[in-house]
Amino acid sequence: MIAVVVVRDGTLPAGAAEAIAECAGRGLLVGTGTPIAADRLGGLAASLVLADTAPFRPGAYAAALAGRLAGEPIVVLPASADGRDLAPRLAHALHRPLYAQATRVEADRVEVVRAGGQGMQRVSPGRAFVATLVPGVRGVLVDEARPVSVERLDLDLVDIPDATPIEVIPPDPSTIDLAEAERIVGGGAGLDAAARFSQLGEVAAAIGASVGATRVITDRHWVGHERQIGTTGVVVAPQLYLAFGVSGAVQHTAGLGHPEHIVAVNTDPHCPMMQMADLAVVADANATLDELCRQVGR
Amino acid sequence: MIAACLKWSAATGGWSAADQAALELGLQHAERTGTDCVAVTVGPAAAAGALGEALACGASRAVHVVVDGDLPSWDTAVALSAAVAEAITVWCGDYSADRGSGSVPAYLAALRHCEQALGVVEARPGSLPFEVLRRLDGGRRERVSVTGPAVVSVEGAAARLRRASLRAQLADHSARLTTVAGPPADHLDAPVVAYRPRARQLPAPAGAVALDRIGAILHSGTPARRGETVELEPPAAAAAILDALTRWGYRAGGAAPGGATS
Amino acid sequence: MTAPTTTTGPGGDVTGPHLTDADVVVVGGGPAGSCAALVAARAGLRVVLLERGPFPGSKNMYGGVVYPRILDQLIPQWWTQAPVQRWITRRSTMLLTDTQAMSVDFRSQAWAAAPHNGATAVRPEWDRWLAEEAAAAGAQVVCSTTVTGLLRDGHRIVGVRTDRPDGDLTARVVVACDGVNSFLAKQAGLYEHADAAHYTVGVKETLALPKATIDERFNVRDRDGVDIEILGGTGGVNGGAFLYTNLESVSVGVVLKVPKLAAQQRRPEEIIAALKAHPAITPLVDGGELVEYSAHLIPEAGLAMMPKVVADGMVVAGDAAALCLAAGIWLEGVNFAMASGMYAGESVVEAVRAGDVSETGLAGYRRRLADSFVLRDHRKLRRAPSLVLSDRVQHRYPPMIANTIERMFRVDNPAPKPGLRRILAEERKRAGVRVRDLARDAWDAMRTFG
Ligand SMILES: Cc1cc2nc3c(=O)[nH]c(=O)nc-3n(C[C@H](O)[C@H](O)[C@H](O)COP(=O)(O)OP(=O)(O)OC[C@H]3O[C@@H](n4cnc5c(N)ncnc54)[C@H](O)[C@@H]3O)c2cc1C
Ligand SMILES: Cc1cc2nc3c(=O)[nH]c(=O)nc-3n(C[C@H](O)[C@H](O)[C@H](O)COP(=O)(O)OP(=O)(O)OC[C@H]3O[C@@H](n4cnc5c(N)ncnc54)[C@H](O)[C@@H]3O)c2cc1C
Ligand SMILES: Nc1ncnc2c1ncn2[C@@H]1O[C@H](COP(=O)(O)O)[C@@H](O)[C@H]1O
Repeated sequence: MIAVVVVRDGTLPAGAAEAIAECAGRGLLVGTGTPIAADRLGGLAASLVLADTAPFRPGAYAAALAGRLAGEPIVVLPASADGRDLAPRLAHALHRPLYAQATRVEADRVEVVRAGGQGMQRVSPGRAFVATLVPGVRGVLVDEARPVSVERLDLDLVDIPDATPIEVIPPDPSTIDLAEAERIVGGGAGLDAAARFSQLGEVAAAIGASVGATRVITDRHWVGHERQIGTTGVVVAPQLYLAFGVSGAVQHTAGLGHPEHIVAVNTDPHCPMMQMADLAVVADANATLDELCRQVGR
Repeated sequence: MIAACLKWSAATGGWSAADQAALELGLQHAERTGTDCVAVTVGPAAAAGALGEALACGASRAVHVVVDGDLPSWDTAVALSAAVAEAITVWCGDYSADRGSGSVPAYLAALRHCEQALGVVEARPGSLPFEVLRRLDGGRRERVSVTGPAVVSVEGAAARLRRASLRAQLADHSARLTTVAGPPADHLDAPVVAYRPRARQLPAPAGAVALDRIGAILHSGTPARRGETVELEPPAAAAAILDALTRWGYRAGGAAPGGATS
Repeated sequence: MTAPTTTTGPGGDVTGPHLTDADVVVVGGGPAGSCAALVAARAGLRVVLLERGPFPGSKNMYGGVVYPRILDQLIPQWWTQAPVQRWITRRSTMLLTDTQAMSVDFRSQAWAAAPHNGATAVRPEWDRWLAEEAAAAGAQVVCSTTVTGLLRDGHRIVGVRTDRPDGDLTARVVVACDGVNSFLAKQAGLYEHADAAHYTVGVKETLALPKATIDERFNVRDRDGVDIEILGGTGGVNGGAFLYTNLESVSVGVVLKVPKLAAQQRRPEEIIAALKAHPAITPLVDGGELVEYSAHLIPEAGLAMMPKVVADGMVVAGDAAALCLAAGIWLEGVNFAMASGMYAGESVVEAVRAGDVSETGLAGYRRRLADSFVLRDHRKLRRAPSLVLSDRVQHRYPPMIANTIERMFRVDNPAPKPGLRRILAEERKRAGVRVRDLARDAWDAMRTFG
């Protein structure tokens, strides 16, 4: 079993560590800046093959990698953007089936997600295959003492029709998917007007965060449904969550992940959101927002 | 010729938002380059009505590959590729709502030996080459240039499908609809069961005493009081919040988040 | 929004064949609309059925039980094709206080066999099936199309305007089946009064459970199902609650008076949560995975708020005509919708054939409603909503009855058993019910349900 991970300028894609862990620490890093990426996998990877080559192109990468991977019965890619791009091409080049969106990959048992996460299927492959592993479902354990062996691979890209890469644009917190946001500023029914969400946006911009809301707010159409955090909205996993006038109903917090830091502003010190907070501020969320905007504006 | 691949959904009786966006961009590409747009679906007989809607929206032809049931992604791509053989661009959704592997478009590109641009969030298709913006993870975007024949898969928000006029909707479209028999459907697929998350591997909780660690495990996910509660006037409240954010490393000149300074 | 149409000259006859786009435009693909379209299409009329959702029934919700016997007249052997979850063979009426529950439970295995009585069904499936029947009969079903106005020629209604480009459609008759709070009936000026006091809001959760678990908990087998109607589980807000079994899920919901809900500032989901936490309900729904949450308005007051149902060139059916019976523990609407749709269809066919689609020509509709169960049941039960939803029935009687029964069954040794009459008298006083009111309510109940 080996994980194939596309690296761009030393940046690992989402789910890279998990894919490598699923393959007992064996990974093949391909792309640009693979040595830098390899350094970030200390304590996780056991053996790495580094193939530093031209920027990512799915068709060309698949053709070039097929020979090297023919002897690997199971090839796992993270189901990140590039992984999903490359996996079907690789499966095609290797004449193998692809199990896309897997949550578990073992030689005789693969579980794949269906219907946008509502269902799943268990399959028994019984032959060589390619799979993509959904980021975040597995988790990893780091063992700092683990030694890693590194091997280099020269990869010559052949000419296959591929779209031409022009540039990679860095993340813009205001357009970033809420699900991917590391910092979120959320608002609930304690806020008294739709305009409060522009203020939340200001505060968010000042700390590089995205704006989220409770269902009460999306029901009022103050922000779009794609901003709703919770079981029937977006499931998020931020490091930092700032909650303004949010009670912390279970349908909301169940989609909140496990933020390292939570700040809650609420007039009710006993509501669940305040109980979860590292800093629970008993205050009027609206006036506090006015103040925050003033103070970050300075 | 331009093609749009649309997967009929029994749950909605129509196309997913992503496939609607694909049809819209296919129609736009056809209009801008003065060619035809054909809508193709591999699906059950019940999908014919929805193809009528695609025709009402302005598709010049529709091809219905009739299969009774669900096909694996590879077989779907093979069935589609015959119908889209001459297309300059093939527009797909990024994921189908039910199978949802996002692999049909890449398979199609492999079969046609052409370019692919998947997960596109923005496109203004015109004469070749044209640029599209695709989603990478972590909020990054990639700009790529489509230079030759290509399969492009698009997210639902990439375009909004135009509305057919009521007259077009009521018109008889059967003359522009080709129906062909598809391969036998795969009935050996494993059953779909309710999603069960897998147990995640997490580092052991910190805590010197075993009892603390057990406590941490027992209380994870339940609201356990963890920090301080302060009652403050708004200006002081704002200052306290900013202070905490600074302390935790979320403010001030790029200090690493997540407690770098605590 | 009124737009003159070009299809008529001054005073000209708009009803001549093929001067209009269609003979009949039916607005709304719910049970009322599909039955109307089915009848008119079968008679050979050109019928267009317009539905705003992506398919008929896609957005429609209700509690979960239909009484489809009216279909005997429309679709022979309908039970062999209808998308039914379970056939109701047990019907239970339950009275809840915070800690007590009392049920009257009825079971009839006869209802498990054709032609059946009630059934649980899922609306997207049920409505889609009925619309497919209409389509098979020749009606043209157009979805994702919202009617935004009526086209008029003078006072006559001659078609509809939709939100599609080039979206005007002329017809000899418009059948308005656009559901509760009907936009079309209001546009046509048929509603005189419609205030919030006459509406209840229905909120429902669907909880997935394995079939075997449902069978065991509700004591049923195969396709048999249970319908539980509940009085008193609505946390101080006047209304009723229900619990129905689908094949692999249960529907639990509440029906709440809008003004009370607003006054108490409670969110309906809190009330459902409290209902699910009741010791008599928890064992039935425990572990169910929430798969759907929905809310909808219900016209409650039947006859009291019924609009005029006929205008020149238009008839109104189903919830649009407030033909829904929502009296706490009664929740019937789909049967009234299907029936009124059918009668609307028949009357439209009659009027078009006779060449008179004026109010007079369409008057057969009103007559059909009056002669059938549709208006008879409504007339009979016209006092039911105000009685069942009254403060006394809602808040005072349940504890009075439950406490009385609790004391009857309680063994308080060494105290001897008290007499029933004494308990009742004491509990009546404790609940603050005056004899006079009790007698009056009993009389009302006799007149209403007797
Ligand atoms: C099936 C189902 C699915 C659901 N899915 C979701 C979901 O995905 N996401 C979601 O968010 N919700 C969801 N909900 C709704 C959820 O149960 C709660 O109703 C909702 O999260 C509450 O939102 P809130 O905190 O904004 O409002 P409330 O619960 O009304 O809380 C408002 C808070 O603001 C505080 N407050 C009031 N005034 C002020 C002030 N001036 N200053 C500071 N604080 C103030 C109050 O003390 C209170 O704590 C779902 C519910 C159901 C039944
Ligand atoms: C919570 C709740 C529980 C209920 N429980 C039961 C029950 O258990 N049993 C029972 O028999 N009844 C029940 N009812 C009542 C029942 O749902 C209604 O009486 C029934 O649906 C009425 O059917 P209809 O065809 O008149 O209207 P609807 O079913 O409301 O259909 C109206 C249709 O018109 C469409 N429409 C509306 N406006 C437009 C427009 N402008 N343009 C185009 N299309 C439009 C809508 O999309 C919809 O498809 C319940 C209702 C509620 C809310
Ligand atoms: N049966 C099908 N018929 C037509 N197009 C399809 C079919 N299946 C998948 N596609 C296309 O491929 C996209 C991605 O689907 P999937 O690979 O199943 O996630 C869809 O959005 C469609 O554009």
